[in-house]
Amino acid sequence: MTEFYKKLIDLYAAGELTDELAADMESAAAIDPVLAHDMRTLKSTFETLKNLPQPHLTEESDYRILLKMQIRGAEVQRRSPDRSHWQYHLPISS
Amino acid sequence: MSGHQHDDSLAEKRWLNALSKGDSSALGGLYELYGEKIFRYTFRMLGNRSDAEDATAETFLRVLRRSRDLKADGAFRTWLFRIARNLCIDKMRQHKLLELPTDAHYNGTEERATLRVTVQQALNELPVEYRDPLVLCDLEDVSAKEAADILDISVPALKSRLYRGRRALRDRLGGSIEKLT
Repeated sequence: MTEFYKKLIDLYAAGELTDELAADMESAAAIDPVLAHDMRTLKSTFETLKNLPQPHLTEESDYRILLKMQIRGAEVQRRSPDRSHWQYHLPISS
Repeated sequence: MSGHQHDDSLAEKRWLNALSKGDSSALGGLYELYGEKIFRYTFRMLGNRSDAEDATAETFLRVLRRSRDLKADGAFRTWLFRIARNLCIDKMRQHKLLELPTDAHYNGTEERATLRVTVQQALNELPVEYRDPLVLCDLEDVSAKEAADILDISVPALKSRLYRGRRALRDRLGGSIEKLT
């Protein structure tokens, strides 16, 4: 398989080919098992990669990052106070 | 440019101007804009939360150190990713990082969930010149032009690394990926 074909397969796997070209590739794959295998496995790799779960910036991580910056002297806090529940509240005694 | 991006761009300009004039509290505004993106990128590159937190904090501390030189010229985001990238490379040199994300939520069938873990592991094992473009373009949806700028390479060179990276990942996955096709 030439480098040119490999690049076409990569574009196919990433969904970057036009519908017409993608259909041509699929027709070619129907009679070429090596091409079909390459297209199928690369497309599957790309799709699995795309669907990997996103790392989530949890409140705990956010807090630790801000704390690390503050410890090193940065005057940093979130501009929108959407983490008010982090603040320590003294118990109100009557 | 979408309305949201336009708002972000205005906010970026405002915080950068404030920071360059000595208002160090403006760092919080920049962190709010980009903190999560930088965290996600460093987590993908380093493969664990603790190192990603360190790298994210250090990235913004470096911004603060260079605050007098900052210009709101539209290249800040690229520069920020570059700082984060250099920090990731330093950390990778310090120790080989293969720990898997411990808090990722894997949905779907067990086979698919196992494959995702395998993909993350294979990604962590790829050479950094392949991992970088895959993380930026395929996982974080950074445009090819911006990713090329971040990595300081041409767009064709970036595309070539993407192309080789995807194949290298597929080859590392071997039979695991074939079971799904």
